[in-house]
Amino acid sequence: MRRHHLLLLVLLALPLVVLPPFLSLGLQNTLVSMLVAALFAVSFNLLMGQGGMLSFGHAAFFGIGAFATLHLMLAVEDGLGVPTPLLPLAGGLAGLALGLVAGYFATMRAGVYFSLVTLALAELLHTLAPQWDGMFGGEAGLSSMRMPWGGLIFGSVLEVYYLSLAWVALCLLLLWAYTRTPFGRLTLALRDNEQRVRFMGYDTHKARLVVFAVSAMFSGVAGGLLAFSNEVANYTTFGMPVSAQVVLHTFIGGSTVFLGPVVGAAVLTLFAFFVSDLTRSWLLYQGVLFVLVMLYAPLGIGGIVELHLRHMRELRWRALAGPYLEATAAGLLVAAGFVFVIESMAVLFSGDYAVLRRDAGGLPPFPFLGTAWQPLSPLTWLVPLLAMAAGGWLANRARHRIAPLWDEARRAHTQGGETA
Amino acid sequence: MLMEFLVVSVLNGAIYGMLLFMVSAGLTLIFGMMGVLNFAHASFYMLGAYIAYTLSSLGHFWLGLLLAPVLVGLLGVVVERFLLRRVHAFGHAHELLLTFGLAFIFEELVKLFYGNFPVDYRMPEELRFTAFTVFGTDYPFYRLFIGGTAIAMFALLYLLLSRTRVGLVVRAAERLPQTAEALGHNVPLVFMGVFGTGAALAGLAGGVAGAFFPTSPNMALELGVIVFVVVVVGGLGSLEGSLLASLLIGLFSSFAVGLDWSLAGALDIVGLGEWARGVGGLMTTTVSSIAGSVPFLLMLVVLLLRPAGLMGERS
Amino acid sequence: MAARLAGGTALAMLGLAGLAGAAAAEPLKVAIIEPMSGPDAATGELYVTAARYGLEEINRGGGFNGESIEILLYDNGGTAAGTVDKFKQAVADGVRVIFQGSSSAAAGQLTADVRKHNLRNPDSRLLYINDGGAALDLTGDKCHFYHFRFQAPAPMLVGPLVEAMSEAGELGTKVYSINQNYSWGRDMETAIRERAGNGGYEVVEATLHDVAKIQDFAPYVARIKAAEPDTVLTGNWSNDLLLLMKATGEAGLDVRFGTAFLDQPGNIANAGETALGHYLASTYNLAAGSEAFPEDYKARTGHYPVYLEPRVVIATRAFGKALEAVEGTGEGIDVTAIALALEEVTLETEMGPVTIRKEDHQAVMPIVVSRVERGAAYPVDGTDMGFAPVKTIPGPEAVYPVQESCEMQRPG
Repeated sequence: MRRHHLLLLVLLALPLVVLPPFLSLGLQNTLVSMLVAALFAVSFNLLMGQGGMLSFGHAAFFGIGAFATLHLMLAVEDGLGVPTPLLPLAGGLAGLALGLVAGYFATMRAGVYFSLVTLALAELLHTLAPQWDGMFGGEAGLSSMRMPWGGLIFGSVLEVYYLSLAWVALCLLLLWAYTRTPFGRLTLALRDNEQRVRFMGYDTHKARLVVFAVSAMFSGVAGGLLAFSNEVANYTTFGMPVSAQVVLHTFIGGSTVFLGPVVGAAVLTLFAFFVSDLTRSWLLYQGVLFVLVMLYAPLGIGGIVELHLRHMRELRWRALAGPYLEATAAGLLVAAGFVFVIESMAVLFSGDYAVLRRDAGGLPPFPFLGTAWQPLSPLTWLVPLLAMAAGGWLANRARHRIAPLWDEARRAHTQGGETA
Repeated sequence: MLMEFLVVSVLNGAIYGMLLFMVSAGLTLIFGMMGVLNFAHASFYMLGAYIAYTLSSLGHFWLGLLLAPVLVGLLGVVVERFLLRRVHAFGHAHELLLTFGLAFIFEELVKLFYGNFPVDYRMPEELRFTAFTVFGTDYPFYRLFIGGTAIAMFALLYLLLSRTRVGLVVRAAERLPQTAEALGHNVPLVFMGVFGTGAALAGLAGGVAGAFFPTSPNMALELGVIVFVVVVVGGLGSLEGSLLASLLIGLFSSFAVGLDWSLAGALDIVGLGEWARGVGGLMTTTVSSIAGSVPFLLMLVVLLLRPAGLMGERS
Repeated sequence: MAARLAGGTALAMLGLAGLAGAAAAEPLKVAIIEPMSGPDAATGELYVTAARYGLEEINRGGGFNGESIEILLYDNGGTAAGTVDKFKQAVADGVRVIFQGSSSAAAGQLTADVRKHNLRNPDSRLLYINDGGAALDLTGDKCHFYHFRFQAPAPMLVGPLVEAMSEAGELGTKVYSINQNYSWGRDMETAIRERAGNGGYEVVEATLHDVAKIQDFAPYVARIKAAEPDTVLTGNWSNDLLLLMKATGEAGLDVRFGTAFLDQPGNIANAGETALGHYLASTYNLAAGSEAFPEDYKARTGHYPVYLEPRVVIATRAFGKALEAVEGTGEGIDVTAIALALEEVTLETEMGPVTIRKEDHQAVMPIVVSRVERGAAYPVDGTDMGFAPVKTIPGPEAVYPVQESCEMQRPG
């Protein structure tokens, strides 16, 4: 089983090492963002998935890491002898320092109070940073340049990519190892039953503080990598959108699985890359995706994958293939219908259409997907409605066929567990 | 001169505080009764403003004010019944995350239909007059209208919760859901009602305030965090606390504008002022220029020293 | 057999396409990087519309080297990280010229990115046309050869504004300065103070406040009233301007406003009658020119050019003239040659000639001061109010001195 997982992991990681040189420059850039987002999300999830603490201000540590790294880069530009590949270390140290201070206060509280403390901390930094020119460079922020080191110029995206890959792989390994240590296991107990940990004689505040600081440190490294790659940062790095993004990544990917946030970060970063210049409604789609995951797959994509892996032997894959195909088709149909409605709304309520409307003196047909549609014709709206209805019907059908198969697998799994 | 500064600042701050209270009252209710920290609350406020705007642009300002809370309240009911209840079993964190996702969706939908620019939502002419004049400054009637609505809202909620059986049932449903159920109360219905009411209050606030402050897709974002500050500082779930905190923040924002205090100024007292001015940066930043950060600082201090807030019960 | 035949044909066609590609010049790719989502999308929309209009105009005139310019749009979401991401994407897509303007912060990052890119890639340099970033240090500390600014920074607006207002007898002697607490607002405050001596007024008080955070401006109005100014000068934009003016109107305070962004869509409608009589300094005024440009713009985009749009078109037209100058002279695309040509451009606009100052690449543009009046030639926001031109100050008179901090390295 163990070896099985390891093999799978290596197989998944191999393309990340081999493929990039053959990819377009744009995809290479996106992969760097993906790596940074993945590390940030896993660090965030150390706090959430392991410690049960939902932070709404993790941008603070990400941002401070970015600024610390930029300050070090500026110092290197002026001749300080720090090897270029070690620059993100500054981010880690700054994250750790701020994490210790902020964490000391934040971990005094639990539940929503904890979330609110982190939110307030990040907002405070966000509002103060632009006032503090020397530290954060005003609203334009700091800008620096990577210096060549050891025969490497660090001018190309590929060089940055491989350095980031190395850093992220190392950090993920460390984070994973951390969850295996006795203290890491204690963290889990902290999430599930804090009272018990206290009775076992541990200082829970201290224990929570350590988790917080470790999480902040690795978030700082992620921020450092971003600064290393972008060579600039400004106060918006502390903003609510950054804190929100990591929450979305983590929960869409799944917070109960160690690599879940990586999946979420990868999916959403690629989604943004392919869709953000195509439609102005991409944030809407992202929000809808998030809500759907919260409603129907609270364990996230990673959670679903893990569930399948765990029931690998018991599941009757051949019987499942049909309904799974149906479910996929259903998802595509509903999505297509929904996107049709939203995008035609975007056209109908746009300024361009307002011009058409005024010139025509009524509701002229609107152009979409290469053809003209009549806004008042029932046919226009029947297309997406039928797609969505068909999708809904298919989804329901698939659900009824999948559920018994899963019940069966679960029963077999528990029995197997008992006999083993 | 000092008198004028005091009176004008109090008048201005109190009304801004009242606005904050109107928006946060629903949030307090929802959190206090259901334990749900509703991130989409400011979005309900925004939706209220847009609904009222739509009707007022058709010439029905008052109908808009009536329908904004009704429609937003219905939306709240739908959100509770079909979305929140589904994830209730996964705990409060999941409910919070769900509302967080909804806030995203509402903002984008508003942009889709109404565009990115602020819309022209204005009060009708009959409300556009000066109520009175103090020290040569006109005081618009609409400010009193906002304040009056807020006070009416507070009084109604207070009476409803403390003087009628509704309040009793709601509180029982929150503290002892099983017992309340056993006594024949429909707990899910109560929760649905509370969430709907909370949303409706935000909708009403949007309808009233949107005509005074600009109605734009950013209005939820602008007020989103500050309403959390109000609710936290007042004490999560305490209506009186919310009122007090709203007024405090309103008055502070108003007074801070007139104060040119800075850290350097404070250090003058011990003779370090010159040094501080040499350091610059945060040292010379005046209170008035960072008035926006102070609420967060206040929230932080309250959360750390007295998490129950000013008026909340000890948790 | 059939499949193999088809395959062979496809191969042949590929070969032909390759040949054709080699024969024709590669198209010049121009990026427009602006927020099209997020809170700044409203402004981004205008920048995109105007830049597209202007670049398409170049294409209608024959494009560049016989090829149409390829226009690529990038949504940076209004954030710093988004701007860097889209900059990289633009480079990956083979873009050689970037138009951007919606924020000084983004402009500051972009100009640094372009400088670094050009250092690392001397064979595929980029040209950055900044059609909006107003921070002074963009043509100061951060200036470089491949950055051109088509926007009037604070001193360039304040000078003409106080000059025209004082000639109209509406400036008075006591000025209150209220501005947003970031580089632009601070530049404005400095400019307002510096002008005080020559402008014949005194700054009775100066206030800096948080950007885009204040809901209720009544307390600021109370403070303004206490200082008893004749005129309030402000560089505020968006809600910060709107709310300030509304609060002033409601308090019944009788002061004149001198502004830099009053023509932002939505302002006049929201402020209502309060807006009447206030002043604006801007780089263009439709009412001061002929009907040709506004009508053509309206025919193609659906609305008269407003706010920043005419200025962006000035930038694209100057760029178009530079392209004409280098056309057919060199092999392929050489942005250094384009930049050198842009330095020499004199663009005749209906406000007056626009030139580029070689020392810091600031566009020397005429500034028009106008007043909000009823029945103006181009009413805005669906109201009956509009901006009536009061005075046009020629570029050379309006422009500020070159900053000492600009140390531009010229090519070669």
